[in-house]
Amino acid sequence: MTETTGVRGARMSHSGGTSGRPALRGGQGNASPARRQRLQAPGLPWILPALVLGVGLIYYCIGYTGYMSTLNWDGASPNPESVGLNNYVRIFTSDPVFWKAVWHTVVFFVVTFVAQTALGVIFAVMMHSRIKLGILYKVIVFVPVVLAPAIMAPVFRQMFSINGQFNWLLEHVGLGALVQPWIGQESTALPVIMAITIWQWTGLTFVLYFAAMSQIDQSMLEAARIDGAGNFRTLVSIIWPSLRGTTVALAILGAIGALKTFDVPWLVTIAGPNNATQFLGTYIYQMTIQLAHVGYGAALSIILLLVALTIAIILQVVGRERTREKKGAR
Amino acid sequence: MFEVRTRWGKVLLQVLATLFVLPFLFPLIVMVQGSFAGAGWGNYRAVLGVPGFFRFFLNSAIIAAGVIAIVYVVTMLASYGFAKLHIRAREVYFWMLLVCLTLPEVVLLTPLFSTTQQLGLYDTYWSVILPLAALQVPFAVLLTRNFIHGLPDEMFEAARVDGANSMRGFLYLVLPLTRPIAAAVLIFTLIGAWNDYLMPLVFLQSQDMQTITLVPQFFVGEFSNDQTKILASAVLTAIPEVVAYLCLQGLFERGLSAGAIK
Repeated sequence: MTETTGVRGARMSHSGGTSGRPALRGGQGNASPARRQRLQAPGLPWILPALVLGVGLIYYCIGYTGYMSTLNWDGASPNPESVGLNNYVRIFTSDPVFWKAVWHTVVFFVVTFVAQTALGVIFAVMMHSRIKLGILYKVIVFVPVVLAPAIMAPVFRQMFSINGQFNWLLEHVGLGALVQPWIGQESTALPVIMAITIWQWTGLTFVLYFAAMSQIDQSMLEAARIDGAGNFRTLVSIIWPSLRGTTVALAILGAIGALKTFDVPWLVTIAGPNNATQFLGTYIYQMTIQLAHVGYGAALSIILLLVALTIAIILQVVGRERTREKKGAR
Repeated sequence: MFEVRTRWGKVLLQVLATLFVLPFLFPLIVMVQGSFAGAGWGNYRAVLGVPGFFRFFLNSAIIAAGVIAIVYVVTMLASYGFAKLHIRAREVYFWMLLVCLTLPEVVLLTPLFSTTQQLGLYDTYWSVILPLAALQVPFAVLLTRNFIHGLPDEMFEAARVDGANSMRGFLYLVLPLTRPIAAAVLIFTLIGAWNDYLMPLVFLQSQDMQTITLVPQFFVGEFSNDQTKILASAVLTAIPEVVAYLCLQGLFERGLSAGAIK
């Protein structure tokens, strides 16, 4: 990568100086009459490495996946059978596990987003209220963001096992009746996965809200107080509305994150028991790598990609309209 | 934010905050306490005694360094091009890049698998570094372009009038002025590469190529599911990350926040 830069750099400096400038001006004068445009050098070579790497590699993979999604292929046989759109038809009409995975993704997104937002705002408000040991608390809440889920997975497997520390804790605080095999049964496996995710990402939500709250105009808060608003009223009517931009961004991030979920359900519950923690990522992995249904996995991948794109576009548009409305109202 | 005047109110707030923080501390306590169960420090000795344990750290470091280097160079060049240079149909290219933001990495598995095998890159660092870099670049470019966009055009024009070509503008204006955003890009690329699990899982098969995220799995085989030693290995692999965070708290928080918000 550096080599290419060096070569281009050398060429640039040759054409630079007084002799190079009139040529540039002549070349771009027709296309863009603005003075500023004439002063700009052509930028295509500069973005080329990013396009080759990002667009090249990724679009190549998407195209390849799209092609494979029309095959009935085990990933090894030299003559895969072409089946047209059959994989897609099968996914939508006769694959209960796919719909299960979709449902889990939706539940997962709603629960983790609401919980992280609530916890993030609560922590941010508390840390802004001059409590003692604030820095220590912040570090404790933020450390999980830095730790790799793959490294924490064995810890959670141990913690939520039948003889694990979570059950031990329940017994010692007088909730012994709740003791159960948390990750071993269908009803509680998904909540455990969601709890782990909330544990992991609340720190980031909190730091973002904390920063956003520092931007709130103090005089507005004082004015509200003078008008007789209590702490709760201030939170609902002034603090929360001014955090909207952060909340929208976190919603986009959370939705795409939910679609990408893989590490935690794979390593903590292996997508089970009985598909109880199956997500699209884990399902694609199982189909493609473990069962060698490469064509089917590719069709699932394409669906996942389209859903992710659609959600990103919808949320982006909604987010923009909201901001515009707000500006208009003022 | 909140005004708490009475002493009882202050105590109540402190108690509430502590109660909310404790669940976040609990798994960390479980991890450390579990790693000392049974043989105590012996667990750590056993883990550190495994030949090639540091190899995992070295591999993660090599991969993270490779990803960071590629992302930094490519991002800086592209962001400058997008923000300050003339490109026909610039927005088209930009949106093509942005689409990659939403891409789940699991989608890349099969095509990369067969392609890396054909190119002989399978089971090399490149098979992990290149896709990870490709996935990080769109976001880094988005962030850095916005930052460079905020730098005054007049500065670049002045440089140009004084005879600096775009390469000099890049070296003497863009690189020094983008240091704050470069630090953010560096941190979220580092975390993304260091913590990634799926790519090394699929593309690195030989033992001496594997990264720290594959350590727990390795020890499940090595110690036939002896939880205490697996937890000891988890603590050891977590330590560098926690130490790095504690040393560069502000940078980590800003970097990861920048990574989350557009």
